[in-house]
Amino acid sequence: MSYIEVNGLRKSFVVRKKREKGKLFREKDTVEALKGVSFSVEKGELVGYIGPNGAGKSTTVKILSGILTPDGGEALVGGRVPWRERREYVKHIGVVFGQRSQLWWDVPIIDSFSLLKDIYRIPSAEYEKRLGELKEALGLNDIMRTPLRLLSLGQRMRAELCGSLLHRPELLFLDEPTIGLDAVSKIALRDFLKWENSEHGTTIMLTTHDMEDIAALCSRVMVLGHGQKLFDGRLPDLLEKFDTVRTVNVKYGAAVPSVSFPEGVSASWTDNELSLTYSPAKLPTAQLLLLLQEAGPISEMTLQPENIDHLIAAMYKEMDL
Amino acid sequence: MRGYFSVFRMRLRMELQYRGAMIGGILCQMFFGIVLVALYRALYAGKPQALPIEAVTTYVWLQQAFFRMLVSTDPDLLDKIRSGNISYDLCRPVNIYWFYYSRIAAQKLMGSLMRGIPMLVFAFLLPKGWGLSLPASAPGLLLGLLALIFGFLCMCALENISMGFTMRTLDPRGIQGMLGLLMMTFSGNLLPLTLFPDSWQKVITVLPYAQLMDAPIRLYSGIYAPQEAPRILAVQIVWTFVLITAGICLWNANKKRLIVQGG
Amino acid sequence: MDTFKLYIRSIGMLLKGHLQYPASFVMQTVAQLVMEGGEMLAVILLVDRFERVNEWTGGDLFFFFGMMSVSFYITEFFGRGVTGDFPSMVRTGKLDTLLLRPRTIFVQVLCSGTDPRRITCIAVGVAALAVGSRMSGVVWTFAKVLALVESVCMSCMLILGLFLIEAVFCIHSVKSVELVNALTYGGRSACQYPIDIYPRPLRILFSVAAPFALTMHVPAAWILGKPLYGWPAWTTFVTPLSGAVVFALMVLIFNRGMKFYRSTGS
Repeated sequence: MSYIEVNGLRKSFVVRKKREKGKLFREKDTVEALKGVSFSVEKGELVGYIGPNGAGKSTTVKILSGILTPDGGEALVGGRVPWRERREYVKHIGVVFGQRSQLWWDVPIIDSFSLLKDIYRIPSAEYEKRLGELKEALGLNDIMRTPLRLLSLGQRMRAELCGSLLHRPELLFLDEPTIGLDAVSKIALRDFLKWENSEHGTTIMLTTHDMEDIAALCSRVMVLGHGQKLFDGRLPDLLEKFDTVRTVNVKYGAAVPSVSFPEGVSASWTDNELSLTYSPAKLPTAQLLLLLQEAGPISEMTLQPENIDHLIAAMYKEMDL
Repeated sequence: MRGYFSVFRMRLRMELQYRGAMIGGILCQMFFGIVLVALYRALYAGKPQALPIEAVTTYVWLQQAFFRMLVSTDPDLLDKIRSGNISYDLCRPVNIYWFYYSRIAAQKLMGSLMRGIPMLVFAFLLPKGWGLSLPASAPGLLLGLLALIFGFLCMCALENISMGFTMRTLDPRGIQGMLGLLMMTFSGNLLPLTLFPDSWQKVITVLPYAQLMDAPIRLYSGIYAPQEAPRILAVQIVWTFVLITAGICLWNANKKRLIVQGG
Repeated sequence: MDTFKLYIRSIGMLLKGHLQYPASFVMQTVAQLVMEGGEMLAVILLVDRFERVNEWTGGDLFFFFGMMSVSFYITEFFGRGVTGDFPSMVRTGKLDTLLLRPRTIFVQVLCSGTDPRRITCIAVGVAALAVGSRMSGVVWTFAKVLALVESVCMSCMLILGLFLIEAVFCIHSVKSVELVNALTYGGRSACQYPIDIYPRPLRILFSVAAPFALTMHVPAAWILGKPLYGWPAWTTFVTPLSGAVVFALMVLIFNRGMKFYRSTGS
């Protein structure tokens, strides 16, 4: 049996509609956030969970972290049902919400950590060891005595991560952890997550809108839309399906006569530089290379897949999300 | 002029949205009124006063009904000040003082009318000696209403001043909180001013706090004879004028400061 | 014991946080003094004008006022998470983060708020108690001190219990939360005077639904040497326990409410 087993998870919410004119009471509406989602995750996996806003990502995370009780379906995490015996269950998980803090705002973060130690009843020796390790890995040494409110967003996120990992959870949920972070902080965060995952075998489930996160971290990605699972597999496999167009930039050593390309290729010249897009399905890459080489001496060449965000947008469109 | 009016109208609509909270608020206010009336009745039973109990209960109910005119903080506006978003408002092509004045006025007026009218009906239906009595005379009623209008204008000016101060100190709970608390005591909400020692009343009734509720109520229930009305109204008008002038100066200074500091 | 230690540490940390803004803190604390001073002034002025109500003298009235102030503001001081912050915890989603920790929600809510500014209100209450007991010539015995302490503790539990009603309303996203204020703040206003001056419906309300009369007035009247309704002395020590009953009941209902919260989502 896998570490996480989810079977036919369903959840709907009752939302109150805006009151219409002339009616005394508001009408109620039911929104199905999850319509039977199933998946399983092995221990030590690093899984990305993506989908457009409102797809049901957060609902899944909330159910699996024991905050919500589902309407139907089953879920087992490490042999426990998240929404039963909440207090026992949450000892084994950690959750970081990108836009919500779980530390105390006005006090130095070290104080927050030591209070978390009491909340989770972590033995002192164990706490010191773990804190030292996390402090090092997250680069928190210089800011331990700074109140949370004075930290930058990147520092704050690192502090949050430290806080949610102190009790050595087996499973870590991250809900949009890199939102609003600068490039340096994002990279540091990803490196840390990789380290935590390989060093301690912590299973990590990550929801995000940032495809770079997925590309850098996740061996596996799940796509959720309209409350249903639409894809589950490796990121390259997902991209391949939608990766229809590629861009090539070529720089020639000398002026070249214009080349005639087959239909479906769009090319533009600036001096000796050529930029073109083609679709590998119609024109095999080998054939294109031949054409380019015949035209003249190539001094530089780059081949790149289309921007990952565009791909995802195309995918959402195709899946009618 | 149009701009200020639409600010006013927008606030009215917003006030109307929170009906659930309003009904709860009305019932709660009614309850407070009944408790107070019961207390004063018990006190009167031991030692009747010159002023009849009916005048006291009327005082209590009118105070309760228009409670929202007295205290109605505008959390949105306070948030704006604290977060600094207020600089957007300062950039608008309107006079900032009157812009907020209309906003405050709408909030107070709507909040209190929607709560006040059901309260007054309820208080009117209570048995004699518990509820709201009829006005002492027709002129008393009319003059009371007039005094209420001036008192209202005066109160909005006062609130706008404390908003101005809040903007300066960025701490809404300090100065403003204190002013608000003084208001509870000296407006007659905590204890009818008519029950204060007679010598104190001479001073307290002249303060701006007494203008909103105390003066109109006294005219309504005939504690002030209609002949005294010109004096009362004169005091109110002077206060309104003074407070509005002070408020305009304060906001102008604020604006200048903001431009100098660059937000 | 472990939970108690956690509570003390949490509150200590929050206090530290409050003191990060000393100017604002002092200002607000003084403002609280003005407020509670105003309430006290109202009682003084009423006593000045009316001298007494039923058989209660001015000193007695100050004593009752002090009992209420001390109990109410101790509750607000130490139970701010329940008496003030809970609605915003629901709104901002902070309640969700509490659900992620291996402790009961009630304990965590209690641990996440304190209102140290109330210290001045408590001081006014203590002053009122001192003045009142002196004016009424109370001779303090061990039993009377015990009765006072029990009364304050039980009243605090009662007040906490009443504020939990509001919390339960919040969980069920009921809009008319203000209605509950009739019991909490209304109870404070009404029951700072002895219960027997009120007409029967109010007496029933504050003896049964929100039994301030039982937790506060029965012992206070006994301490003042004028037992309420002429009840025997042992009632002084028994009736306040109703505060603990209300508290326990409301904690149960609150826990039920949290189950509802988790099944409906936020």
